[in-house]
Amino acid sequence: MAQYLLRRLLLIPPTFLGLTFLVFVITRFVPGGPVERMIAEMQESAASSGQDAAQIDLDEEQIAQLNEYYGFDKPIIISYGIWLGRVFQGDLGASSRYGDPVAEIIGSRLPISIFYGVTSMLITYFICLPLGIFKAIKHQSVFDNLSSSLVFIGYALPSYVVAVILMVVFASHLEWFPLGGFVSDDFEDLSRWEQVKDLLAHAVLPLTAYVSGSFAVMTFMMKNALMDNLAADYVRTAMAKGLSFRQAVLNHAFKNSLIPLATHFGNNISIIIAGSFLIEKIFNIDGFGLLGYESILERDYPVVMGILVISSLLQLFGNILSDICVAVVDPRVQF
Amino acid sequence: MSWFSPQTKKRFLRFRKVKRGYWSFNILMALIMFSFAAELFVNSRAIIVSYQGKVYFPTYGSFIPGTTFDFDYEYETNYRDLKKRLNQSNNADGFVIMPLVPYNPYENNLKDEGYPPFPPNFADKHYLGTDNTGRDVLARLVYGFRIAILFSFGLLILTYSIGITLGCAMGYFGGRFDIVFQRLIEVWSNVPFLYVVIIMSSIVVPNFTMLLVIMVLFSWPSMTWYMRTSAYKEKARDYVSAAKSIGASTPRILFHHVLPNSVSTIVTFVPFQIAAGITSLTALDYLGFGLPSPTPSWGELLQQGTENLSSSWIVASVVCMMVFILIMVTFIGEAVREAFDPKKHSIFQ
Repeated sequence: MAQYLLRRLLLIPPTFLGLTFLVFVITRFVPGGPVERMIAEMQESAASSGQDAAQIDLDEEQIAQLNEYYGFDKPIIISYGIWLGRVFQGDLGASSRYGDPVAEIIGSRLPISIFYGVTSMLITYFICLPLGIFKAIKHQSVFDNLSSSLVFIGYALPSYVVAVILMVVFASHLEWFPLGGFVSDDFEDLSRWEQVKDLLAHAVLPLTAYVSGSFAVMTFMMKNALMDNLAADYVRTAMAKGLSFRQAVLNHAFKNSLIPLATHFGNNISIIIAGSFLIEKIFNIDGFGLLGYESILERDYPVVMGILVISSLLQLFGNILSDICVAVVDPRVQF
Repeated sequence: MSWFSPQTKKRFLRFRKVKRGYWSFNILMALIMFSFAAELFVNSRAIIVSYQGKVYFPTYGSFIPGTTFDFDYEYETNYRDLKKRLNQSNNADGFVIMPLVPYNPYENNLKDEGYPPFPPNFADKHYLGTDNTGRDVLARLVYGFRIAILFSFGLLILTYSIGITLGCAMGYFGGRFDIVFQRLIEVWSNVPFLYVVIIMSSIVVPNFTMLLVIMVLFSWPSMTWYMRTSAYKEKARDYVSAAKSIGASTPRILFHHVLPNSVSTIVTFVPFQIAAGITSLTALDYLGFGLPSPTPSWGELLQQGTENLSSSWIVASVVCMMVFILIMVTFIGEAVREAFDPKKHSIFQ
């Protein structure tokens, strides 16, 4: 086990390097980077202040200075090395759009993403596991069939379509919930109790959309795994020696049914942080996903690379965490 | 059906037994067929025009200039006007048979009174209303469906050819080849797909083929991975050793033994790949990084709909269509899985 983990950990650096280098190269070849953007902006401001745009064209020297500032004057491999060296010192650079440090920008969005990530994970686990168990025990009852068809719809639809449906029906048409945003504009002026209410009202729809997809997968996984185990001989043996059905399910079958769920657990880490920018865009939530989307649109590459560093590390460690979880719940697994 | 193996027949029968999956399959196939002949049902060109003793079929082929029907313009005839004119003259000159929805997905049908979007209106034959620029929603839905389905099938074929070839080779030959590609896939599948697509599409406006290639670039790893596992498992089976020991060549083992035994892996994923193709194309179009602008697409309608929530018919029609199609595809997927990999649960009580 330790050896396996060590091997997996050793594989992280090459994957991480390959990944960041790839995106770094792509960002280098895209026109409309920060330098060109700055030139365009200067020409625009010149034009609006009545000057002839062509006249105040930046001279060669200034462009060279800008290029040097962003590291565009060096070969890719060298500027990648410089960037990587800074990352190892914990410096993600400064946003080319706002000038603020990338780490600060990302840090300001994190609480929002973590709020949604953790809540949706808790909801998924606390509802799906009991629901799955109940459905397995009451297989093909009215409740099982009804809940299956509901869960199935959530499974068939991508979360952004669920988000659009929820927004149109509950926010726009029925006006039960606000249309979007993380909190209302007057959040600061509200009393503590109203703040909680406001936050929850804004969170209901996005959370439902977040949960809808994983909900179905989890519930069905739990149900199917439990049903497989209920049919296994060891459950029959357990009952033959006098255990009640309840004890047999909870102490024997349930534990073994957690194995397939454990393979999924590590994914939660990256979902917690990265979220889904489609949902964030639809509900206009200023989270991590929307930040990534906007910074790509604005060609704010330091931010893009910073997000990539964090999200890819989370993903890589999340995969390993999944393996550990599997090993914990299933001692038979030998790596 | 004698050329099918008994097992294939059994699978087919099992598939037919799952009623909702089987019917979804039939309905979806009919819809796809219908969408390929959409020009006959949803089009601004008439199906048949009989004018002064001559019969025209304008649906396919190059356009007929207005002068042919004694209009004073050289560009394409407006058949709706022609129909109105002929109706007014009591059909003395001939008649026009228009398709059910007499609009094509590109034309802006503006009215003198008011601004688009116009709500559904049966008198104008805008059965699902029009979008922000006065284009018929139903026409755009139908043609958008055709493009989405073509795109998904293209994606399916390309990812499957790469995935099956590479995955099979990785699993069967193993060794250094396997390790190199494993690492490559690991790096590649961690690249945030949407980032790259967005970056790429912001450089050049992608056309159908380019978008397809970009999507294939990012969707081959998962199929390769499944296929690798499957080939790896089959390789260790006794029948492969047996085939080897009686002197079967590697291609023979691959094509006659390993591949047919991995077919359930391949087929089970088909419907889910199709659904994934439709949803990701729609998501890209929704964000504005998909197909270029006038192309009819669901994502573009979704985007218009969410921005004009007061014109609820736009978002309602595209969402209903998506729900309908995706649920059917998922039904088919469940039925295929049931047919290829039947799980019988014995209920213990």
